[in-house]
Amino acid sequence: MLKFESLSVRPKTPPPSIPSPPLPTPTHRPGRNFTDFMSQTDDDWDADVKDETADDFLQQKIKPPRSIEHRPAVSSKLSGNGSSTDLSRAPTYPSPRRKDTQGLKPQFEGLVRDPGNSLHMIYHPTLSADTHTEAEIERLNSRIKRINKFKRILQSSTVDLNELREISWNGIPDELRPMAWQMLLGYLPANSDRRINTLERKRKEFIDGVKQAFVRGTAGLDQTIWHQISIDVPRTNPHIPLYGFETTQRSLERILYVWAIRHPASGYVQGINDLVTPFFQVFLSAYIDGEVETFNPNSLPKEVLDVIEADSFWCLTKLLDGIQDNYIHTQPGIQRQVAGLRDLVQRIDNSLTKHLAEQGVEFIQFSFRWMNCMLMRELSVKNTIRMWDTYMAEGQAGFSEFHLYVCAAFLVKWSEPLQKMDFQETMMFLQALPTQSWGEKEMEILLSEAFLWQSLFRNSSAHLRQGGAAHVPTINL
Amino acid sequence: MASREEAGAPKLSSSVKLVLLGEAAVGKSSLVLRFVNDDFQENKEPTIGAAFLTQKCNLPTRTIKFEIWDTAGQERFASLAPMYYRNAQTALVVYDITKPTSLTKAKHWVAELQRQASPGIVIALVGNKLDLASSNAISANADDVDDAENEDRRAIPTSEAKAYAEEESLLFYETSAKTGENVQAVFEAIANAIPESTLKPRGGAGTGMGGGARSSANEGHSHAVNMADATRAAKEGCAC
Repeated sequence: MLKFESLSVRPKTPPPSIPSPPLPTPTHRPGRNFTDFMSQTDDDWDADVKDETADDFLQQKIKPPRSIEHRPAVSSKLSGNGSSTDLSRAPTYPSPRRKDTQGLKPQFEGLVRDPGNSLHMIYHPTLSADTHTEAEIERLNSRIKRINKFKRILQSSTVDLNELREISWNGIPDELRPMAWQMLLGYLPANSDRRINTLERKRKEFIDGVKQAFVRGTAGLDQTIWHQISIDVPRTNPHIPLYGFETTQRSLERILYVWAIRHPASGYVQGINDLVTPFFQVFLSAYIDGEVETFNPNSLPKEVLDVIEADSFWCLTKLLDGIQDNYIHTQPGIQRQVAGLRDLVQRIDNSLTKHLAEQGVEFIQFSFRWMNCMLMRELSVKNTIRMWDTYMAEGQAGFSEFHLYVCAAFLVKWSEPLQKMDFQETMMFLQALPTQSWGEKEMEILLSEAFLWQSLFRNSSAHLRQGGAAHVPTINL
Repeated sequence: MASREEAGAPKLSSSVKLVLLGEAAVGKSSLVLRFVNDDFQENKEPTIGAAFLTQKCNLPTRTIKFEIWDTAGQERFASLAPMYYRNAQTALVVYDITKPTSLTKAKHWVAELQRQASPGIVIALVGNKLDLASSNAISANADDVDDAENEDRRAIPTSEAKAYAEEESLLFYETSAKTGENVQAVFEAIANAIPESTLKPRGGAGTGMGGGARSSANEGHSHAVNMADATRAAKEGCAC
């Protein structure tokens, strides 16, 4: 196989300080792609021009459910875990309690209004040479430097999105991620004058949409969609305490339901419940101090929860807009991605592809899930969040095209052990990959490798075409 | 690295491809988890695409290694199903005894399997979540006795599902993945019911979907399994 280490080309990252030698194909810079992306999607996301019509739907009257064929399973095995499947009960909205808001940042009102306020709230500990090692101080200093770079970009009255994308590729500091993600996805306007109004309007649209949908409690919902969502939400990230709390589960239900009824071609598809969680977690983190994965949001003021929910909804919508084909009937987007992955891996590591074929392992058997859940079943939510920094920096194609290169890099990483396994061992291994100990470092290596494969193969993209009839010369290294 | 243990042993030993089908959240993955690991998880993540597992079943007359494809239940993934039931020698079609629509869905799966799967496929109809019924009586006559403590959530009488299973020559069991009740019994019954003619020697290359051409030779002439087989099968033991 092509050995990543042995190649003379290195991706731009990491480390960012290494200058990138000429690549055999035109060098890809995240910034270049973005212009294309913007030129294609500008109209859709100009908040002031087209949003009024695009978002009208939330103002429309929600259709009554098609039919209620059955009383959904109140008695399912999940009912032991809170009564989330009990459809006779109206959803509970948290009451706007002001006291007892443990962990909530005191400045939350300013943050709700304008995420830009987060820029002034970053806390840096003071380290002294007496109590800390040089390495610790060095690390903190470089972190501060990096945060300041982001701040400089984000504080400008019109944020330079190319610059933001370029710097975000290597990861976004936690404190700035909520704002940066919203901007990279085109939800938060780059122009600071428009931000507050746009956010207010978008959030109101979502909240009105929820109100309309749930006006008759859960009994008025499309029962087929609602049933599926209500049985999946308690099964979402079950190992993370945050997702076991009542408030979180009700929020996810509302986000997923409103998204589903507005996208009838796909509706709610399992896996979308996974994709909403990084947004929920990141946007929640903006308002609290401490660890988000163990935070109990039950005591959050309603206005804060509404905002987290609305922002998660819109950002999920933006993400899914780029990969709609993955979730419509017969899931052609995923079929194409799986075929693309097979083609790509064949070029990168022919002996692995041959071995898998000999054992009767088909790519769809293991990579369907990689596409349907964006590798979220293979990686922790935290690692996914880091990965999405890069995906969003890649622009619209991040979650489709670049993801393919990430999957290829991910698979060939295990090439050596895989080539010693038979069919059964391969399937078992690929379903439970040893990524539990992975952290930022492993993610950055993975993303760099993906970047490399993209640099080498993006212009010979037969693997991205349907049918794949085109023949592309093999690249010799 | 294919395992070739017991090579030459007189006892018949074979790999069997098994597929699980059924509506979302009826407990397909939980049945498999109980069978394979004797474990139960309250909130298991929904299966996406399909999961693959194996488990051996040692019977007095034969050793069966199940290669299990546990499919995703949501309708959107249904187009993947043919890939998983292709060349399967046996299928577990699962419904939830508390949810009538899940039996309707199960019947659709049975019809599809009878139409499109290998002709000799052994199908077992399994009503899961038996722990949610107040009594496991075979009789469908609902007791009018109010059992406030242990609310009976059963919505599908045993007799109804059983009658359907007999009509279609399916094995039939009611199970609880949560308590483990009858889970082993289902797999034992299946292991016994697979016609000898469709068993193939162990240890070949992968029996995944790619191996279709390799495994199709025997599948033309097998016999439908009737309830008599199921009864006989259930009497035999299994040390899985």
